[in-house]
Amino acid sequence: MAVFLQSLISGILIGGVYALIGIGLTLIFGVMRVVNFAHGDIMMVGMYLTYLLFTILGIDPFVSVLISFPLMFLFGGFLQKTFINRVLSAVAQNQILLTIGLGLVMSNTVMLIFTSDYKILTTSYSSSTIQVGGGVSISTPLLISFLITAAITAALGWFLLKTDTGQAIRATSQDRDAAQLMGINVKRMSIIAFGLGSALAGTAGALISPTYYIFPQVGGVFTLKAFVITVLGGMGSVVGATLGGVLIGITESMSAVYISSGWKDVVVFVLFLLVLLFKPSGLMGKSRT
Amino acid sequence: MTKTILKSAAGLLVLASLLVLPRYMQSPYALHMMILLFLSVSQGQSWNILGGYAGQHSVGHAAYFGVGAYTTMMLMHTWQIVPWIGVWAGVGLVVVVALAIGSICFRLRGPYFVLASIAVAEILRLSAINLTTLTNGAEGILATEIPAFKIGERVVTDFLTKVPFYYIGLFLVLLTIAITWLVQHSKLGYYFQAIREDQDAAHSLGIHIALYKNIGLVISAILTSLAGSFYGIYVGFVDPPTVLGLDVSVQIMLICIIGGMGTLWGPVLGSLVLVPLSEALRSNLITEGLVKIGLVSADSRIGIFLKENLSHAHVLLYGILVVLVILFMPDGLMGFVKKLAMRRKREAV
Repeated sequence: MAVFLQSLISGILIGGVYALIGIGLTLIFGVMRVVNFAHGDIMMVGMYLTYLLFTILGIDPFVSVLISFPLMFLFGGFLQKTFINRVLSAVAQNQILLTIGLGLVMSNTVMLIFTSDYKILTTSYSSSTIQVGGGVSISTPLLISFLITAAITAALGWFLLKTDTGQAIRATSQDRDAAQLMGINVKRMSIIAFGLGSALAGTAGALISPTYYIFPQVGGVFTLKAFVITVLGGMGSVVGATLGGVLIGITESMSAVYISSGWKDVVVFVLFLLVLLFKPSGLMGKSRT
Repeated sequence: MTKTILKSAAGLLVLASLLVLPRYMQSPYALHMMILLFLSVSQGQSWNILGGYAGQHSVGHAAYFGVGAYTTMMLMHTWQIVPWIGVWAGVGLVVVVALAIGSICFRLRGPYFVLASIAVAEILRLSAINLTTLTNGAEGILATEIPAFKIGERVVTDFLTKVPFYYIGLFLVLLTIAITWLVQHSKLGYYFQAIREDQDAAHSLGIHIALYKNIGLVISAILTSLAGSFYGIYVGFVDPPTVLGLDVSVQIMLICIIGGMGTLWGPVLGSLVLVPLSEALRSNLITEGLVKIGLVSADSRIGIFLKENLSHAHVLLYGILVVLVILFMPDGLMGFVKKLAMRRKREAV
């Protein structure tokens, strides 16, 4: 029972960070209908940014979110304005290829600068845990990152529901043409959505960096994971992505315990294929055209 | 009419010179470059049949490449089975794998198909890492020696030099081009293109979508598997990232996209651009060039850094090329060449 509870709790905690990656991807897809294959690489850039801030300026990874969030927002806005914007009306495969290309450029530029060595970011609390009782313990960095994730998700929810810009973003994602006719500047909303999506991915990278290896190719794994999460939740749905993230986190940690850690990603991908086949609209999605 | 004759004459001339080339060009490095070029063309052409003609942009072709490479290498490593036989075992297995993948993935469209194709290839890659007793896991399989192919006592092929690889590579290129040409000029090709252009319209005209997509996939997978077997035996080493990784799928696809999808010569053009470029980076030609013209000194920090790291940069170059091609030549180099030719024609009139 203790093992079960332990893996359930760590699954939920890591799932929170996954949710953040998924929300970013789903936001971009919702507003622009572009599948961003560079999402994991954007997160990787966020990890290296955190690493730099930590090693050069000595800023704690969790505090550095305050710096990396706006920087990653600008980075995403720049990507949207210079590259993605040009293929918004192009065929789907060109959008996919362009973002794959951008991802390759990011990961290999980082590799040229930092080499392909694995970097580890060790803080004073990296391996500390909190005993809950009953033989169950919680990793401190995972707990802190989960709390920050929850706060960011709540803030994002408030932003999307209550502010004018948030409502304009939601309107654009519901119907781009109608939103434009209503006087919404959809181009600006696209830049904001891509910026927000990138900032969320970058933040997830910052939050995960005290507990994960940092290397240039790390993005590929997370791009796929982000897709599994968003497809599971229903592409374009923020609530779905949150749910999907937590579900994937639990699936991963459960299969690591009950099957083997080597096979946990296989379990996730098999689950992904099953969802695509049997419930293609995801948990929260309505249609997929 | 004269144009057709001229074209076929030029083709025959190129083919004849490729056939006699190893006689006059004996430098192993030059032969190696040609073999890499052949491998690249056959990979790109195999992807082209499914991706270019039938419009199914699989980003999981590493699955077929890896199955071919692994099967042949495993048979050779464990039971000393000559590659000439192992290759066909790979083909047999790949057909099964392709049909399994097809029956799952072809129910999906667009980005969902792309995602499913990646997921399947990733499942195979992770399995190759975890099934250590079968595949030697992350360590990979190293073949120190290729068993010679004998009929009775007579040695047919010995693989002691690069020359047999050259001819097998050339054969693969001719085979893939011939099959692409046949597809292009048959009913099958028209069905593929109908599915690519408008799946629903093709369906309403009575074309069995799932059947033809699977036919395209099987042809493409068999050819990719042959290229994979060829790669495994030539390099003598396979491990999960180099034959089953996502990078492999992306590189296979890029040959075709940069050259021009759905055209007979696109993958050839793409390979002619990509292979020399990535080889120039890999072999440090660029660093040596910079040293030679005096911009960088060889023993300075930056010189050493470039020498150590620029060799990895060929994937970066791939990335930059993809971005540029998509933004400025969405139909690839072939499309660009055709546009130039059209403009010249118009100006001549």
